[in-house]
Amino acid sequence: MKLLGMALMFVGVASFASAVSVPEIDPGSAGSAVALLSGALLVIRSSRKK
Amino acid sequence: MRDTEQKPGVSRDNGLQSTSSSNYHFIHIHHSSLGLTHRLILFVLLFAAEWIPITHFVHKGRGGGSFLYIAVAFSSLFMAIAYFRSKDSFQRISSQVKKTPIRWSFFAYHLVALAAFLGFSSIPTGSNPLSYAITALWYAAGVLAIVLAACAFVPAVLVLEFVRTTGYAWVYALVAAIVAWRVTIYASLGNGAVWNPAIDLSWKPATDLTFTLVKGLLHLFLTQVVADRATMTIGSPKFNVIVSPWCAGFEGTALMLVFSVAWVGYFRREFRFPHALLLIPAGMLVVWLSNALRITALILIGVAGAPNVAVGGFHSQAGWIAFNCVALGFAVVTRHMPWFASNRVAPDMFAPGVFASDVFASSVSSQPAQAPLSTHAVHNATAAYLTPFLAILAAAMISRAASGSFEWLYPLRFVAAAAVLWFFRSEYSKLDWHFGWYSVLAGFSVFGIWLGLDVMTGTHAPSAIGAGLASLPSPGRIAWIVFRTAAAVVTVPIAEELAFRGFLIRRLSSADFESLSPRYYTYVALLVSSVAFGLLHGERWLAGTAAGLIYAAAFLRRGRIGDAVVAHGITNALLAATVLTAGKWDLW
Repeated sequence: MKLLGMALMFVGVASFASAVSVPEIDPGSAGSAVALLSGALLVIRSSRKK
Repeated sequence: MRDTEQKPGVSRDNGLQSTSSSNYHFIHIHHSSLGLTHRLILFVLLFAAEWIPITHFVHKGRGGGSFLYIAVAFSSLFMAIAYFRSKDSFQRISSQVKKTPIRWSFFAYHLVALAAFLGFSSIPTGSNPLSYAITALWYAAGVLAIVLAACAFVPAVLVLEFVRTTGYAWVYALVAAIVAWRVTIYASLGNGAVWNPAIDLSWKPATDLTFTLVKGLLHLFLTQVVADRATMTIGSPKFNVIVSPWCAGFEGTALMLVFSVAWVGYFRREFRFPHALLLIPAGMLVVWLSNALRITALILIGVAGAPNVAVGGFHSQAGWIAFNCVALGFAVVTRHMPWFASNRVAPDMFAPGVFASDVFASSVSSQPAQAPLSTHAVHNATAAYLTPFLAILAAAMISRAASGSFEWLYPLRFVAAAAVLWFFRSEYSKLDWHFGWYSVLAGFSVFGIWLGLDVMTGTHAPSAIGAGLASLPSPGRIAWIVFRTAAAVVTVPIAEELAFRGFLIRRLSSADFESLSPRYYTYVALLVSSVAFGLLHGERWLAGTAAGLIYAAAFLRRGRIGDAVVAHGITNALLAATVLTAGKWDLW
């Protein structure tokens, strides 16, 4: 749930990025990038519990 | 409402009522079992589902946009502040809410108020007294619609009780929301009042330092470097770029600040303080340095003869790739540095241990329709479910970064997914890959919905695939189409169904998701996983969400991953046939 919360937070931040339209972070790729990061963190965290 | 099998001993706090039989508890899920958090999520989803379709019909000139912005910001901030100030009250009221059913009568009143709101929206605005009265009614109807929807999920008396226990939280939230609203206005106007490094000169040293770093790095690779600090132009005579203030690493650094603060804050029990606070500036510094590497690499790609790739795919993807690498590195490295670790965490908390599923496995006489991926705690089941999908996402980022407008490296996605699926093949052999007639029906249904919504929502951005394929020699063109089709029909359905249906639906209900039957679900988990699936389909998010729900229905009917995969594969095969026969490349 914590990681899901973080993912939502990133979606919010990335949405703000789309409002100011800057070149460093492409808002169009935010969805897949956030999904990749969240999923990878979930895998890392779950491996830690083993 | 549905019944589902649950292994004995599973204790769930979301209002499930259990009655024991010899080896099983049969769980009944009621609407009234939903706690405050679940109801808030449902309320937000309802709000989004209603608001998005009516946006085009609603007046923009009455100040409603600002009002809505402040209302949403206020609600979010209030809940966050209130939760941290009054956790006990939150939990107490949540338990009271669980006993209260969703009140559908309020939902009906809400629909009436919403209809009135839309009706007032259809009346043109003006500057006469009648228009002011209509505007007031318009606001009243809108606010009433929101309040009534909220009352359907949470009784007003409980909301007021909760507000009373949180003191002045509502004042802080209101002030912060108004400040955030003003900041966003200034930022979006780009007038330099707030957050515009082009005018905010305090950011200038960072831009200069980035310029200097890039110049130094380029000298390692190029004999002739063009570097004009007056215009911030840098590169070679053949290919050069302007380092604008926005390119100074501002966004990545801000994202890293959010990430590192959230990570250290969420997992604070695992960190030693104040040592762990050093991780925050360290992470920001690494991201900022990676931005200089990104600009250097972009210039070198352009100089090497691929300017389209440099300013196209690489420009769009490299920032995210760098940020993801640093963020993941942050998460991994902090695990292995004892200096940052708290000694309060019980040593056996993360040690190899016996999960609930292991205990259940020995006590349950018959297995559910589909066995969990593993009942042993010697491997990472989350990895087996998620890694194929993550491999596709990672390969997609790399392949886009190496492309201009046409993603010529798409086969990398297929190869990456196939390799991971092969790696975990022994785990997947334990899943039930059978399928029934309804999965075929589901596949055809989604195909129809997908095309139907595509026609209804109008034109989409033109695809560069047709022109890109035309530029390839015949063998390359055929190979690309074969890999693209194989990915759409085989690897993508398997990877996405494992992630969204096999994993996420249960994971949203319990961290120990393997202890739950594959047929277990809650309405919230079903909705969230389907919306997440839809959002990953970009502008086709609505069709994606509908597809997610239908594939989930196919999966949950028997708890067989094979049903969902076959349904998904059939949809994608039909779409591929449409693309290849009708040349509708935008469907890919």
